[in-house]
Formats: sequence, C-alpha cells, structure tokens
Amino acid sequence: MSSLQDKLNERLEPKLQDTVAIIDGILGNSSDLHRREFNLCGHPDYPGIVWFLEGMADTSIIDSILMALMVSARELNVEPAELANSEELRTRMMVNASVKNCETIGDGIAAILAGDSLVVIQGVDRAVIVCAKGIKERSVEEPSSENNVRGPRDGFNENMRTNTASVRRRIKDPLLRFEALTIGTRSRTDVNIAYIRDLAKEELVEEVRKRLERIQIDAILESGYIEELIEDSPYSPFNTVQSTERPDKVASSLLEGRVAIFIDNTPVVLVVPTFFWQFIQAPDDYYNNYWVGSFFRIVRYIAFLISLLLPSVYVMIVSFHQEMIPTSLALTIASGREIVPFPVLLEALIMELAFELMREAGLRMPKPIGQAVSIVGSLIIGQAAVQAGLVSPFMVIVVAITGIASFAIPSYSSSLALRICRFPLLLASGLFGLLGFAVVFFVLLLHALSIRSFGEPYLAPASPYRPWDQRDMLLRVPFWMMDRRPEFAMDGRRMGDRQKPNTPKEEQK
Amino acid sequence: MTKTRISNGMFIAMLINLCFVKSIGVTQGVLARSVGQDMWIATLLGTIQGIGVIYLTYLVIRKMPDKNIMEIGESLLGGWFGRAIGLIVFVFFAAGIGPLMLTFVYHLQEYFLPEAPRVLFVAAAMAVGMVGCYYGLEVMARIALVGILFIFLLNALIVVGSVDEFDIRNLLPVLESGFPRTLAASIHLDSDWALSTMLAALIYPAAKDFRQRGALLGIVAIAASGLLIIIWSLLEGAVLSAEVTSQYTLSCMKLARNAHIGHFLQRYEMIMISLYSIPMLFEVMICLYGATLGAAKLCGLKTNTRTVLPAGIVLGVFGYWIVEDHFVALYYLERIWPWIALPIAVGLPVTMLIVQALFGGRKT
Amino acid sequence: MIRVMLSALLLGGVVALAASCMGLRQINELAIVSAVGLELGEKPGTVRVSVQIIRPADARGQTGAPAGGTGEPVYSVRAEGKSIFDAIRNLGRFTSRRVYWSHNFVIVMQEKYARKGIKEMVDFFTRNHELRMDTWVAVTPDSPEELISTITGLEVVPGEAVDKLFYNNDVAGHALGSNMMNLEEAMLSGSAQPVLAKIQLQPRGISNKKPGARASINQVELAGAAAFRGDRMVGWLSPKETRGVMFFLEKLESGIEVVDCPNGGGVLTMEFKNARLRVVPSYRNGKPEFTLRLRADADMVESGCDGALGEIRDEARSKLEEELASSLRGALNKAQKTYRSDFLKLGDTFRNKYPSEWRTLRHRWNETLSEAETEVKVKVVIKSAVVKAERTNRP
Repeated sequence: MSSLQDKLNERLEPKLQDTVAIIDGILGNSSDLHRREFNLCGHPDYPGIVWFLEGMADTSIIDSILMALMVSARELNVEPAELANSEELRTRMMVNASVKNCETIGDGIAAILAGDSLVVIQGVDRAVIVCAKGIKERSVEEPSSENNVRGPRDGFNENMRTNTASVRRRIKDPLLRFEALTIGTRSRTDVNIAYIRDLAKEELVEEVRKRLERIQIDAILESGYIEELIEDSPYSPFNTVQSTERPDKVASSLLEGRVAIFIDNTPVVLVVPTFFWQFIQAPDDYYNNYWVGSFFRIVRYIAFLISLLLPSVYVMIVSFHQEMIPTSLALTIASGREIVPFPVLLEALIMELAFELMREAGLRMPKPIGQAVSIVGSLIIGQAAVQAGLVSPFMVIVVAITGIASFAIPSYSSSLALRICRFPLLLASGLFGLLGFAVVFFVLLLHALSIRSFGEPYLAPASPYRPWDQRDMLLRVPFWMMDRRPEFAMDGRRMGDRQKPNTPKEEQK
Repeated sequence: MTKTRISNGMFIAMLINLCFVKSIGVTQGVLARSVGQDMWIATLLGTIQGIGVIYLTYLVIRKMPDKNIMEIGESLLGGWFGRAIGLIVFVFFAAGIGPLMLTFVYHLQEYFLPEAPRVLFVAAAMAVGMVGCYYGLEVMARIALVGILFIFLLNALIVVGSVDEFDIRNLLPVLESGFPRTLAASIHLDSDWALSTMLAALIYPAAKDFRQRGALLGIVAIAASGLLIIIWSLLEGAVLSAEVTSQYTLSCMKLARNAHIGHFLQRYEMIMISLYSIPMLFEVMICLYGATLGAAKLCGLKTNTRTVLPAGIVLGVFGYWIVEDHFVALYYLERIWPWIALPIAVGLPVTMLIVQALFGGRKT
Repeated sequence: MIRVMLSALLLGGVVALAASCMGLRQINELAIVSAVGLELGEKPGTVRVSVQIIRPADARGQTGAPAGGTGEPVYSVRAEGKSIFDAIRNLGRFTSRRVYWSHNFVIVMQEKYARKGIKEMVDFFTRNHELRMDTWVAVTPDSPEELISTITGLEVVPGEAVDKLFYNNDVAGHALGSNMMNLEEAMLSGSAQPVLAKIQLQPRGISNKKPGARASINQVELAGAAAFRGDRMVGWLSPKETRGVMFFLEKLESGIEVVDCPNGGGVLTMEFKNARLRVVPSYRNGKPEFTLRLRADADMVESGCDGALGEIRDEARSKLEEELASSLRGALNKAQKTYRSDFLKLGDTFRNKYPSEWRTLRHRWNETLSEAETEVKVKVVIKSAVVKAERTNRP
C-alpha cells in the first residue's frame, strides 16, 4: 500500500501525540505491544514513550532505559533542554549497550517488530532505538542430525547472533566479516553472509550477495527456501549448497575460502560452494587419527556406491543375467524366490516403498511410539513378510543393507538426493537389464558432471582432476601433509614448513 | 567455435577412449583372421603409424592455434572450402558410427540381452549421445576421465583373470606371417586411431597447453592407447590362441568369458562389460558430436545445437541399418570402413598442409 | 535445450513401450542345468541329450516359506533330436521351465558318440553365449544318463560333485582337467589334438544302512583319459599314461609314486614335488627329435622297507626316476605309435623353435611325429623323509 509506504518513509516528528497516532495507526492494537510513558528527568514538559513488544523485548533492558532517563538524569541534575538533540541523549544519558538514532517511521516500526524498543521524547529531534532483544531461545545443544564421537558438541540454535558468535569464537581473525542483509518482505528475516576477506574470492562473495539480493519473496521460514532460490541447477536433485548445523564445519569451510550464509530462526547454515565429495566427509575423520579417518571414509564411499547401485544390480542380475551369479548363490536365491508371486522388480519396489514408509513413520511418530514402530517394522514385518511368502529373504537383506548404507552418509540431505537417483536406475535395470543400467548410469554421470556450484564444478577434484586437492578426497592425509588450501581459495599457504613431527634428537651432553 | 578449455589430461583421455573401445572389441578378431598370433605386432605397427598421423594433424593446427581444422580451411581458401571440409568431417563420423554401433549393440545384445530388439540399443545410444552433445564439450571431456579410470580397471581385471591361462607358446613364433603381411594387416588398427586423429583435428585448439606441448599430447594419447590395446592382443593370443580368436566377431568378449578369479567368481564378464559400456557410450557420443560439428559448418551455423537432433536421427538410422544384418556389418567393418577412414584421416591433414604451404601467407 | 532432452526422453519412452520387457526371466522360472550327457540316439543320425536339473528348494533347504518339495534335489530328463540344438529344444516339450545352461558344470559324452565325431558338440557349446567356458568335458564308457543322475555321497547336487572332482584332479594326478576352453583350443589348432578326461561309474560307495553288503553303491570315478584325432576319439589312456600327459599339458607339480624296496621287504612311497618338464625339440636329417627333461624334488612319505632310510636313498631315487620316465614314455608311446595323434602339443613346441621347418612338415605331422626320436631324462633329488628321521620298524 503506497500510503503505508509513504508513511513509513516519513520522518519522525518530535511531537509526541502525532507520533503516537501514526504508530498506533500502523501497528494497531496488538495485545503484546506495550507503551510505557515516562517523563524525561521527571520533568512534566518532556513526556516520552517507550514502545516494546512483550515477549520479544527483554524487560530488564526497558527497566534500565527508564532508570537512565528518569532517575539517573534527575540525580545528575541534567536539564532536559540540554537533551533536545538525540545525539546528546545517546551519548550522555543512555547506558545501554546498543543505541541508534532513528530516522524514519519505517525504521522505528521495524525496530519495534524486531524486539528492540523505540524511545520517543517530546522535544527531542529524533527518536532513539535501543537494542533490547530478549527472545527466549533454545539453549545450545548437540545437533541432532549430525552426530560425532569425538569433537565439539555445540550446535547452532535459532538465534542468528548466537550462531555467528559460535563461529567467531573459533576464528578470531580480524578479517572474518559478517555482512547483513534482510530478506523477505513480510518476514524481514536477518541474513548474514560470512567470509574471511583474504581467503574467499571477491567474485564469489559478490555472486552470493547478488543472488541473495535478487530474492523477492514474502517470507523466509527456513534456509531451504533460500537454498532453492539461489542454487545453480534448479532441476537437479543434487544439492549444490551445503547445509549444516555444526559450527566447526562452518568454521573449517570459512577457512578453506568458502562463504557461509547465516539465517535467523533456523539452526541450519548454508555453505557455498560445494563439492559432491564433501557430503561423504564427516568431522570425525579430521579429529581422529588419519588411518582411522581414511579407513572410515573409504567405508563411507562404499556405502555410497551400495546405496546407489545395489538394488539395481541385484534386480538386473536376477531378472536378466543369471549367468553372472556364482552357482551356489544362484541356487540360494532361486530357492528363496520359489514361492514369491511377484517378479523381482515389483518385489524390489514394494520393499523399497515399505522401507521408506517405515522411515517416514518413524520420523513423524511421537517419540515414545516411534521406537516401537521402527523395531516392529523392520524386524517383525520383514520376517513376517518372508514367512508369508510375499518377498524373498534375499530382497529383505538387499533393501536393508541399502537403507543402512544410505544412512551411513553423513549428510542427510544428500542421502535423500541419492535415494531419488536410485529409483530411475532401479526401474531401468529392472525393465531393460544391462542396457538400461548402463544408459541411466551414464546419463546420471553426465548430469552430475555438468553441474556447477557457484562457479566450481560439482565433482571436482575428481573431474576435472585437480591433483593438489586429492589429499582430502578419498583418504584423509595427515595434517602435516595438508599444507595448501583448495584451489578456489585466494591464499593457498596455510602452514609453515616441515610440520611433520619427529622424535627429538638426542641432546648433546 | 571452440572457446571452451579442456585440460591436457582430458584431451588425452578423450583420444584414448575413442581409440581403445572398438580396437579391443572387433579389431583383434579381424587381425587374428589375417595374421594369426602376430596381432600384437600389427597393433604395434598400427600405433606407430598413428603417432605419425597425429603429428601431421598437429602441424596443421599449429599455424592457427585457435581454430579447428574446418575454420582453418575457411580462413585459407574461403567459405566454400570450409564447408567442404565440414562435409568431409560429417561423412567421416557418420560412416564411423557403423563400426561403433556394431561394437556396442553386439557386445550387449548378443551376450546379455539376446531377445531385445536392436532398435532399442540404437535408440538408447543415440539418445544418450544427444544428451551429451547438448551438455557440451567440457562435460564430455570430464566423462572421458571417468572412462579412462574404467579402462584401467577393466585392463586390471582382465589381466588378473587371465594370467592363469597365459601360455607363451601360443604367441611364438614371432612374425610367422612375415613382415609385409603384418604391416598390411595393421590397416585395421589404423581405422581405429583415425577416429582419434579426426577428433583431435576438431578439438586440438581447446586443449590447455596446445601451444607449448600440442605434439606431445597427441603422441602420448596415441601411444597410450596402443599400449592398452596391446595388452589385450597379447592376452588373446596367449590365453585363447590365435585360431580361437579368429573365430569370433567380438574376441574381447571371448577373452572376458574365459577369465575367472578362483573358484567362486566363475564369470565376471558383466562387471567388465559394465566398465566397458561407459567408454563405449562415450565413443558414440563423440562420434555424434563430430558429426554435428561437421554438419553445422556445412550449413553455415555458428554453433552445433540445432544440428544435434537431425544428425542424431541420420546417424541412428544408418547405424541401425548396419547392425541389422550381421553379415552386412562384418563386411562393412572389414572391407569398406578402412577405405573410408584412412584416406580421410591421412589425406585431410596432408591436403591441409599442402594448402597451407601454398596459400598460407595470404590470409590471417 | 529442453527440447533435446524431451525428445530424447520421448524417443526412449516410445521405444521402451513398444519393446516391452524383453529378455526378462525371473530366476525362479528357470530350470538350471548342472550336468549334460550326450550319446547316440536309437535311430541312426539322432542324438540323445540327458540333462540334470537342480531343484533349488530341495538342494538348498527351505529358505522362507515352505515350497512344494519332493525331497529330490535333482530332476533328470532326456530327449532326442536330429542335432544337439534340436534335442535341447525338444526338452521343452516336457520341462515346465525354460532350460538354462549358464550354470552347467560338466558335459559327459558316451564313447560311441565321441568316436563318431565331436565337432558338432564343440560348435554348439561355443557358439551359444549362455554356456560357461570352464565347463568340464569328459568321455565315459558307461551310459551318460546313469552317470549324471547318480547321487554321490558328499554333495547334494551330483553335477557339483563332478565339478569338485575335476577341480581337485591334481591331488590324485590320474585324470586331466579338460574343459571347454582347452578343448576348443585344441580342436581349432593346426597342430595339437584334443584329449579329454575319462569318467565312469565304479561300485565304491559303502552303504550305511547295509554295512554287510560290500561297497556296492556306484560312485563317479575320474581316472584316465580319452585321446582324439581330429574330432574323433581313437582310444583310451590308462591312469598311469594320463599322469604322463598331465606333465605335458597341465604342468603337474606333485604326486606320489610307489616303488619296491631295494632290498625287498615291502614298498616305499615317495611324493615328488616341484616337478618341471622341459621339452626341447631339435631337427636332424629332416626329422624332428625331442628331448624331455623332468626335474623334481621328492620326499619319502611311507616306508615299509628294511634298512635305514639314508642308505636306501640312492636306490629309491633311481627307482622313482624310472617310474616317472616310464609314465612319460607310456604317454609318448600312445601319442606317437598307438594313436598317431599329437595330443601332447609337441607340434606347438617344435613350431615355436623351427617355424620354417614346421611349414613343410605340418601337413603330415601325425605321421612325422610317429617317426620322431625321443629321449627321456629324469632327475630327482630326495630331500627329506618328512617328519620322522628313521623308519618305523626296528632294524
């Protein structure tokens, strides 16, 4: 509404009654909007009002504002006439940590809605906004979807400032910058872009900024909205933006030269650019010994291959190419399938559907029942289905192993992407055998190779091959070997020379 | 036209992929029919010839490092010459789809899916090729790297599975058929690297270090493919014996079927075929790409996007006609294709060199 | 851009719908064959094929819900036809499932069938893509149907039993491991002739239920070989001669020989190891000559002799050398004189060294070979008497 817009752009008048009328007109009569009248220095000629939203503002800060303006002013014997300038007010009287001048009504309204408090005093030329946010937030807890055995356990929570502080405490570099944006016309969600200035490429930061500013939407409720609006390949199921709940992951990404996007009201932080292989890395790899880390990383690569390929290969071999199975295994499979009435492809689809149903049900159920459902579902229903002759026991094993393998991938959202890719592969191998499998695999490969994530090819460093970046892909080489940053960072040097530890030489007596 | 940049490794990988797949498939059988157990010597001789021709190709492009062979022709003698070269390129790749389709279809269909209609294979391969051409050269070059990895794995698997049966007596005596006949037989291998050199003629300018090391890149590519193919020649000669190899259309499948690891994994040729099918599809895709480039030049278009669909259909129909009848396919492979491939692959660089020498100074 | 994708998808979709899942066969719709027997049919010019089909539910036990089991792990049937392919298709007249060859273990041919010529059989089994190349091939003087349907004691599936017999053939060292691969190679080769293993039924099994009755249950025995010339069988080789052939063809490394004790009293058994045979061809006066050199190490593994083991060592050695030489000579004799068929690949060895002479000689190679001079030299070193230092009985 243009009149609202015009009103919001108007300057705040020093006349209190007019200001009250305007603000009441815009904000209406919400029951959580409070107006506290007071007199500056106790002088009746200088009435003032503090606006704040109950529940969003911390009332102790409101108390301190009032204390400063009413009591301390009088005790210090300050004349209210001296405080006609808001600048004077701000620098001489207000004791709060963050105080800003307020130019337009729009700024004032926005401040109130954000949980700050607006102080308007008769006779003072501008209003003053005091940062008084005191929303009750969840305490810092372990992130639920990214577990680790060794390492820090603090996760992000819904307050963006707490999140940025978690990262700030890990990187005390003066060049770590947080740029603020507001996205969403009605939600006005705060968004911060984080980067380290001499490590992240200027063009990358510029690109991120440009894409975020391009967004025109009414509300941003979660990082997923932003992710879908800025990603490179909107049609692809692959994630080109990494999302995480762990501050140590964000800190390490920033140190590699990436850019992080913090969004208020969600504990999930976005990191760009992304490589596909990152989704198979886990923080544990880095905190444990490199032998252990490399071994488990290889296990996870195998899990990735299994979750993508195993059902398709099984269906293909059992339906079309039975000669490939070693004979004793073929007999076992055949004996299990003797009484199953469905063809293998249908059996596979039924079992996959059942598994997905169980997973979804386990998620949606209230906690106490959720445990029972998953145990009942997996063990008993699977066994009962086999006994009833609906599915063969081999199929149950294949689907179970596939499911477990897909959960072994640390990044939950990319395992979902893999799960989606699995179905066309399954259908093609079940309908066309090796031809279908080869063709769909090839097309998937073509697609994955063509995606870019904010300018970086998605499957780097495997293809295009970057020899220096191989050190962290398949194996986790020791830290004394990782002396350079990845190629997309600006400054490559990160370690001193000869960092490999040696046993100290014998002291000369 | 080629403004994209591909790395050196990708360039080499593309050439190797293009040469390797068909060579181990059908060419070894053809060689065995001509010269018995000296297949590997014929392969070696063919590789040496290939190195010579790729160097010639390099010399042609060297003068104008930003243009591919068609653009060079255009700048030397005018638009019509460029179009003529475009036509030649198109004819070459269109004719080349025959042996490639033959390899792909017979590998998959005869051994794994005998009841599937052949048109399905042709259609699937062409569809994949069109998708790849749409994605562009850079993506195709990256797939070449994956293809190279699979080729190495494939070679490792076949060596592991066949080394038990390796009998050196089957390979001796050397040069039993005499040197001239072996040299004559190497013509079949020449038609394999002809695809690689023609592709190089089109994409050489896109290689990153073309100016400093262009010759080395090409030579390394052809030599590496020759070495990889010789492994198969040696294995087929020693493990199967030359007489057996000569009996089969797809001798590499015969070798793969014989391979076994221990007592448990009796037949694992499907793993090998799965590894093999990626470079194979890549080869079909590149053949289509070359044809679209030639067609685009012929019709005077700037980019090849609009020629993808028609070229795909033409090549698909021709490919299907070739593979429909087994005997026609073999006749085309052994008698007709070498005489199309070699004159173009050797003649075109030589002609361009002569034209460059005569008219080189005139236009930039 | 989207157009290309969509047209590609449409193309694929149309073809897919038109084609409808072809080649799709569930694994439980297949009759998995584990052994094949070939013999001449009753009417002249026909071939009789008998197959042994596995019933997975009975062979593997119940996995999952109970299936209708009859308790028999195999089901054997036979059919006749004008050619092998014809006979196999005729099997489809009464087997309810599609006969599936990919897990076939062994092909057994009757002697009469082999003597008539196996060219057709080799062509069929190598042209068909379903078959494995390491299927064992054997010839039997008994009836193949009886042989392949004999239930053996240890394995549930008889075909698997024969497979494992062949696999361990170098333990006894009396039968060749002849499979489709080397049969095909020998058939197509210009110089070598095929030789196949011999398999027969012998009453060796002792019944648990009727221990009083002697070993009366027929068991499948793998011993000996059948020599071929061209594609026809020409005769049998005894187990001892087969051992000689195994040195040539399969690089037999170890085995045992029993010799008489030098000063009477019993027999001495020795196990030879690391045996290596070298065949050296030479060409003199227009005729090929072959020198065979066999080297081996040996251990004494069972002694019933008088006299200290250290003393009888030299004589034991020469006796062992004599035994090994005689098995080599036996094989050579059969190849050169009796059957005039070069199944020892001597032609290949000659051709590798003298390619130009080979060109003149190869047309009449079988006759030329029969006139070739051969010399056998065996050298054995006895290394140890295994665990014990001396013999068991007192001096």
